[in-house]
Amino acid sequence: MRRALTWLPVALLATVLATGLAGCEGEAPPASQGFAGLGAEAGGFRQASPGTQLRFPEDHGPHPDYRLEWWYLTANLEDESGEPLGVQWTLFRQAQQPPAERPETSGPWAADQLWMAHMAVSQGETHRVAERFARGGSRESDPVRDQAGVTAAPFRAWLDDWTLTSRVDDSDLDALSQLELAATAEHDGAPFGYRLSLDAEGPLVRHGENGFSQKSADGQGSIYLSQPFYRVSGEVTLDGEPRWVTGRAWLDREWSSQLLGPDQAGWDWFSLHLADGHRLMAFRLRGGGEGGDYLSGSWITPEGETTPLEDDALALTPLATSTVAGRTLPTRWRLRLPDHDLDLTVEAPHADRWMATTVSYWEGEVNVFDHASGAPRGRGYLEMTGY
Amino acid sequence: MLTALLTLLSHYRRHPSQLAMLLLGLWVAGALWSGVQAINASARDSYARAEALFTTGLDRLERRDGEPLDRADFVTLRRQGLSVSPLLEGTVITARGERLTVIGIDPLTLPGDSAFATAGSPSTSNPGELTAFFTPPWQTRLAPDTAPRLGLERQAAPGAEPSLADGQRLPPLVLAPALPPDTLVVDIAVAARLLERGTALSRLVTAAGALDSAPEGYRLGRAATLVDPGELTASFHLNLTAMALLALIVGLFIVQAALGLALEQRLGLLRTLRALGVPGRTLVTLLALELALLGLIGALAGIASGAWLASALLPDVAATLQSLYGAAVGTQLRLPWHYWLGGLGVTLGGLFVAGSGILWRAARLGVLGLGQAQAWRAGFQRQLRGQAIASTLAALLALAVWAWLATQPAGEGLVAGFVLVGAMMLACALWLSPLLAAGLSGLGRLARSHPLTQWALADLQLQLPRLSLALMALLIALSANLGVGSMVGGFRLTFLDWLDQRLTADLYLRPPAGQFDAVQTWLDARDEVAELLPTADAESTLLAVQAGGERQRLAVPVTLFGITPGARLTPTWPLLETRAGRDAAWTALEAGEAFINEQLALGQDIAPGERLVLRSPGGDQRVTVAAIYPDYGNPRGEVLLATAALRERFSAAPGSLGIVLTDAGPPGERRVESLSRALATRFALGRDALRDQREVKALSTEIFERTFAITRALNALTLAVAALALLASLLAQARERRRRLAPLWALGVTRGRLASIQLAQLGGAALITGLAAVPLGIAITVCLVAVINVAAFGWRLPLHVFPGEIGLTLATALGVALLAAALPALTLWRTPPRTLLAEEEAT
Repeated sequence: MRRALTWLPVALLATVLATGLAGCEGEAPPASQGFAGLGAEAGGFRQASPGTQLRFPEDHGPHPDYRLEWWYLTANLEDESGEPLGVQWTLFRQAQQPPAERPETSGPWAADQLWMAHMAVSQGETHRVAERFARGGSRESDPVRDQAGVTAAPFRAWLDDWTLTSRVDDSDLDALSQLELAATAEHDGAPFGYRLSLDAEGPLVRHGENGFSQKSADGQGSIYLSQPFYRVSGEVTLDGEPRWVTGRAWLDREWSSQLLGPDQAGWDWFSLHLADGHRLMAFRLRGGGEGGDYLSGSWITPEGETTPLEDDALALTPLATSTVAGRTLPTRWRLRLPDHDLDLTVEAPHADRWMATTVSYWEGEVNVFDHASGAPRGRGYLEMTGY
Repeated sequence: MLTALLTLLSHYRRHPSQLAMLLLGLWVAGALWSGVQAINASARDSYARAEALFTTGLDRLERRDGEPLDRADFVTLRRQGLSVSPLLEGTVITARGERLTVIGIDPLTLPGDSAFATAGSPSTSNPGELTAFFTPPWQTRLAPDTAPRLGLERQAAPGAEPSLADGQRLPPLVLAPALPPDTLVVDIAVAARLLERGTALSRLVTAAGALDSAPEGYRLGRAATLVDPGELTASFHLNLTAMALLALIVGLFIVQAALGLALEQRLGLLRTLRALGVPGRTLVTLLALELALLGLIGALAGIASGAWLASALLPDVAATLQSLYGAAVGTQLRLPWHYWLGGLGVTLGGLFVAGSGILWRAARLGVLGLGQAQAWRAGFQRQLRGQAIASTLAALLALAVWAWLATQPAGEGLVAGFVLVGAMMLACALWLSPLLAAGLSGLGRLARSHPLTQWALADLQLQLPRLSLALMALLIALSANLGVGSMVGGFRLTFLDWLDQRLTADLYLRPPAGQFDAVQTWLDARDEVAELLPTADAESTLLAVQAGGERQRLAVPVTLFGITPGARLTPTWPLLETRAGRDAAWTALEAGEAFINEQLALGQDIAPGERLVLRSPGGDQRVTVAAIYPDYGNPRGEVLLATAALRERFSAAPGSLGIVLTDAGPPGERRVESLSRALATRFALGRDALRDQREVKALSTEIFERTFAITRALNALTLAVAALALLASLLAQARERRRRLAPLWALGVTRGRLASIQLAQLGGAALITGLAAVPLGIAITVCLVAVINVAAFGWRLPLHVFPGEIGLTLATALGVALLAAALPALTLWRTPPRTLLAEEEAT
């Protein structure tokens, strides 16, 4: 009878997973709620608005009363033989209920907040991806007591053993100016991952209107900050083989309750390190009714001075598409900034960077060229959602 | 040619009952065959989909210091990068006082990539089931048959929020048919609130094999080797297929009986057609065309109703498979295209096999032959000789197969086993007519001084050609019914006995490995505990078997299981074979020798007295086999040792702790209750750690009873249909028979007498058929339990013969025949004598 007693829990779990939680397979978000439902009405949550005062280090931590938030890091690296590698690490926080609807006594297993982490290592045609989940309460987390969370001081963001930690001791320095990033996962039994040191060579950058980044013509938006000036060194493991790497990284911090307008289908997002020391952030939000696509961006000098790019200051044109994971995506772009006399071609050297995660999207390294001469002008990352 | 075909078919307008019987036979053969095939196909398809979920058990972690697990353990291990997931189990009491198991899970960390891949977007604005499961108001997932335990109708259950005895309400109910009964699955946050456990955990699980070794401070318990559903479910399907095959044979016999009758009555017509210039070849083609036409109609009807039968039985079959083997079967019937084609092919193929004899006879039809009864009788004598020869050949084939099987190693020859059964049945069926004919002529000679009896016997002999096919069908149906019935009944009895023998202790406790010894010491000191039966288990590899000076090298994975031979266990534990008697075997076990299960003994050809070399963490271990024991339903080889020896020599993890209570003191339930309370207080063990033996027994019995119920239902259906066919075949010729009775009546025999003669004739024939079916049925049982079961399962069932069942078989045969005879007899009783004479004149 040992057997009869052992199958029960297993059968049960499998059953729950197979029959119960699989319920939303193939259930596309309603068309009017944007990519991953990010355009849905956000009643009961705090809204991102212009004039929001930012305070640090507090605002490095989570904002549980906003629905959505992320700590988003991408890095363009090279190993000792000069071979390029790409690295991504993201911690997403998503509030499951508006603050007023959260149960008062949620207990130790509270799930007001869903934490989701993605990591990726890419090199050539290889693209390794992993994803993890955790539940959390709404108070600021305690690294010892919670599976996932973020603390502002000392700065620490983690899910399981995937961590992004501040190395700053000096309280005069911004906590994000020196970071340590570590994550590992397995693919077919072979480990992949990274342990990187990040050192900022410039200040934290606020996009839009002192950090408020408008995302549609009718005023939806988010609080959006970046630290685009990291120099990186460390170790990346791919297919079980460690290699020493150096390069540049970009950290995005963003929180909001309704990121997209109801009709916006997704975005194309660029974060570029130009060879002359400038940084360029540009995005196009597709759809959105009468106004058409919504374009915005930031031109960042090597010193960190930021110029918002509005309306005619920015033009994005897809030049060529690739088919990835059954979808057709633009992987070659023309990017023009007339005011800065800039005409660039941005191209993904490897199209196969699909993140086949629960929420799936394209995220990969791009090379930047001068559009006219074809001369290399820099590197960066491109993110495309809603395809 | 069309005219000729229509002329041939016009026969059925005059005898619609024959057409009905033909179609009935085809329909039954097709329906049962394809119904069972549909169930098989659908179930197999489901396994393929479920396989990924079931091949992985879950490993579990326990604290080395024996303390209960807590949420902090979960977080610590996750932060170290170990993919563990928390589980919280307990019992809640419903408002009506019933106990239900609650299992709290964390769907975000539960192992299984596939589950997450299908979990969908965890977005609040896209409220998928995942979010609904772990956020307010949460969900309670339960099987539909659990709803009544909460005082709810199934229909009213979804969305209901029933109260518990302590006043708490359950989250809204969601039905999940695949869940085991009496179990509620909720988010771990809900479970912690309902069970008032705070941050405590019942266990930490991880995907099997995910961890190479236990983390510091923890102990790793590997997932118990789960039964591979493929192996066991296949054996259940084999049973079903065997049943379907028997059903097909019965159906085809019915078809042949009907076809034979239809041809015989059309002999005149055929001769006329030949005389009118229709070539013999055309005639055969036409008859074949008729067969194809009828076959197509019958087979399609059969397949359609087979699909219906399958979908009607499927929820039950699904439930049986699920509870028996833990395999998920969809309750929606899914039929691949080849199912329809295959069903059609088998039915039509069978029909042509059955009809080939008819075609053969039609092809050799003498144009000038006289269609007289006596001439026919001479033909029948020839046929009898032919049958006797064929039957002898079939018997010889059966013997040869049996002799060949005897030389084969056990576990092989599944196909040969089926051939043996088939040949045996054929031999007996073919022998039946010569046997009856010989018996009748013998009796006829004895009854010389009783003219009426002599007439009755001669008359029966005259009927024999027409009756023989129907009687053969009855014989096969009866013996198949008896055989399968005895097999299933025997399996049930054996299983129940085995349960009684194996579950000897009153209570079973599964303490965490770290606490095992402490719990054992504590229990030992308690007054109400009479005896403790600790078990242990481990995995090993059988490296070699030494018999005498010979040494056979092997690498067979085996399970090691430790038991505690004591006053309670040794008298009831069954042993099949020992080296030197039962008592010596038990003494030897205590001294460090081993018992092996029948599967291992048959599979590796090991006998008591031989020595096994087993791999252990501390180097190879040698044990002597003292005995072989039966181990039903276990697909793996197992080596049994005394628990102490197993733990010492193989570093085995402790398993469960059987507790035998003393006879003194308050009644059982109260003592169980107080003991489990004391255990919970002393060792912080949940109530679910302690299992009442009666509960376990009831659960397993219930599971098996359902399997047997389905088998019996299919079996009874086959028999009922065979009975119906015999009835139809007798009714079809009743009117014709009546004419022969008219002269007797004219000679002064009363109608009552005539009616009773008819009853006696048919009753006698059926009784002889039934009596012939008894030894055949028993022979089939032997084949099923000793050949087919061994080939499929690797173990032999004891032979059980059920006199009640044999009596029932005989009664069925007699009842069918008497019923078949009674209806014409009743008509005869009511017919005015003048009509009888008129009919006689008409011939």
